[in-house]
Amino acid sequence: MSEVEETIRRLSSKKNVQGVVVVNQLGLMIRSTLEASLGKQYATLMSDLIRTAKQSVAQLDSQNELTFMRIRTKKHEIMICPEGEYLMIVIQTPDNS
Amino acid sequence: MDRREELEKKRLKLAELRRARLERRDALMAPQPTRTSTPGSTSSRRDLDDLVASLVDRPATPTLTIDGSSDAGSDRGATSSSAVMSPPPYQTESQGGLPHGTLPFGGRLIPEFTSVEAVIFDIPPKERVVYNKEVQTVEGSFEPQGPSEEELREQIKAEFAQEEQLRLELLEAERMENEAVVPQEAPELTDEERKSIVQSAEFVDFVDHSSKILERAMTEKYDFMKDYTLGLDDDTEDLNGNRMRLVSSFHDDRWSKNRSVTDVGWSTKHPELLVSSYNKNPLAVNEPDGIVCVWNIHLADRPEFVFHSQSDVLTVRFSDFHPNLIIGGTYSGQILLWDTRAKSLPVLKTHLSVGGHTHPVYAIDMVGTQNAHNLISVSTDGTMCSWQLDMLAQPQETLALDYPSHPTTDEVAVTTLGFPDGETNAFWVGTEEGSVYQANRYARAGSQAGINIAYSYKGHFGPITGLHFHPLFGPMDFSDLYLTSSVDWTVKLWRKRTHPKPATPDNAVVHPLYSFETADDYVYDVKWSPTHPAIFGTVEGSGKFEVWNLNLDTEVPVMSTIVGAGKALNKLSWSKDGRHAAIGSSDGHVYVYDIGEMATPHAEDWNILQRTVNEMISTQTHGNALGNDY
Repeated sequence: MSEVEETIRRLSSKKNVQGVVVVNQLGLMIRSTLEASLGKQYATLMSDLIRTAKQSVAQLDSQNELTFMRIRTKKHEIMICPEGEYLMIVIQTPDNS
Repeated sequence: MDRREELEKKRLKLAELRRARLERRDALMAPQPTRTSTPGSTSSRRDLDDLVASLVDRPATPTLTIDGSSDAGSDRGATSSSAVMSPPPYQTESQGGLPHGTLPFGGRLIPEFTSVEAVIFDIPPKERVVYNKEVQTVEGSFEPQGPSEEELREQIKAEFAQEEQLRLELLEAERMENEAVVPQEAPELTDEERKSIVQSAEFVDFVDHSSKILERAMTEKYDFMKDYTLGLDDDTEDLNGNRMRLVSSFHDDRWSKNRSVTDVGWSTKHPELLVSSYNKNPLAVNEPDGIVCVWNIHLADRPEFVFHSQSDVLTVRFSDFHPNLIIGGTYSGQILLWDTRAKSLPVLKTHLSVGGHTHPVYAIDMVGTQNAHNLISVSTDGTMCSWQLDMLAQPQETLALDYPSHPTTDEVAVTTLGFPDGETNAFWVGTEEGSVYQANRYARAGSQAGINIAYSYKGHFGPITGLHFHPLFGPMDFSDLYLTSSVDWTVKLWRKRTHPKPATPDNAVVHPLYSFETADDYVYDVKWSPTHPAIFGTVEGSGKFEVWNLNLDTEVPVMSTIVGAGKALNKLSWSKDGRHAAIGSSDGHVYVYDIGEMATPHAEDWNILQRTVNEMISTQTHGNALGNDY
């Protein structure tokens, strides 16, 4: 279990990373390095988004599935890795060099 | 269920058809008693049809003629089609509606011989409609039968769409419920639930796996949303011809602290992976003595894989022929095989018995081809063993490398090994005393197995730390050249001798072609570049990594840089494209440098090198003739 903590901590301490949120299938937040309310918001909103994305992919081609999602906004980049029952969300500000 | 209804319908249809056929047959029999021959033949044919129909459970010929030959899409056996073809001489094809056996001309039989093209009916593959997991019904494969396969397919599609609809509605309903429920209760998991989730094994796996993916994605430096139309202040990081740049450095706090890197290598299959081996950490007694890490260039913080071993791993490489296997030689003389698909302990290992090595294995190499390859290992007790990768229990062959005319001991303490490209029999070994010998694996005509005592390559004054043959590529073959590096601060270039001239006595001493003497510390490794014929790199104990280009200058290196914190560098390995060099240092870091444009050769480079080598040869012989040795 401490490995998990360490991994999350290491991910979140990389430069440009604002936060890491781990969510389960129902949209309930398991761990977050952001403050609680923001983390919860991300949790529910992103899990909805992932669900819709998964369905769209499955409808387009029933053999296909969603493996990774990357949302690029003006201010941040949100990366979501859905796997099995859980989702891991990382928010970072990309390097503009 | 639906299937049964459909089956019922089909059965009814079949029964009807049979009845219709029977009626028609009676009708036929009655009005034409005169035609004895033809009814016989047609009735026999009809019997055949019936037999076939009953065996195959398909409606027989009469339905074809009724429905017309336009039913091309349906599934018909060739037998019934051939039965169709024979009646048409007695009726014209277009009048499919005529009952059997009616003659266009009354009375006399005029057989019309028409040329009929046998229509080859394509039997389409059986449509297997398999329901995927999302649909709750449990149906097996669905085989279309009967004439209305098209209709059935339509039906299935409609049903599927309906069920999909239903399921979506259900999901919607559920989600509404969930959302309705969630604001009521506290929208959080309780702490206990959280803890239990976090401790579950699959959560740990999930975090491990997804964090690797995310870290790789995060390391992308290129901002694809970059707006080139705006003027930016230039951040010139151009690589002009002669600069090298640190790409990344790999170090893991847990695994590589207090250890030094003993070997580095690149993967043949995935050019972004490299493997490095470490010796033991004297401060951490409980951790495994030998560690092998596989690093990914795109994942700078943590190794992709970590493998353990009981004793220090001195040399490691990816298997040339299996992208998943990693082979390592250890301080105890064992050879270990790890698999990236398995866990961190070795999958196979050799025994610590007399069969293999009992001294540290400092060098291993793989020779052969995909189907017939061997692993060759040498250790400091003077034995060379060859192994089959799937049978590491005992070596395929063991060879003692003896040099009988040595003053103190016969056995040769081997520190490095080199096979010329493409060779599987003759190899060169570098020893602790500083001489290089050629040896043969097998006895051939004119040479015995073991060290070839005809030549000894003497020139170094200290143990040889690296030996590398020129890789075979390009328009010219320089594979008879090899470089050696040694603790005596020099790097020497040699040419291999193969056939002893009859007049030379045994133990002829071969002198190096050239010696590179600019180093100011032990030179720990030397490697030719795999793409440029005249480039090679060296690493030294003072922390310097130098790149030499023989076409530009043979006296000084072209590029030289201090790597990392200036600790001694142990090993060097070029990537397959020749642009990246992986350097293992004694403080546990692995550095990857990019040498840029220098790595690409020009067409004349080969010629220039040939000229340089010839010059060296002529100076050497000239020097020898005058009595000067290097």
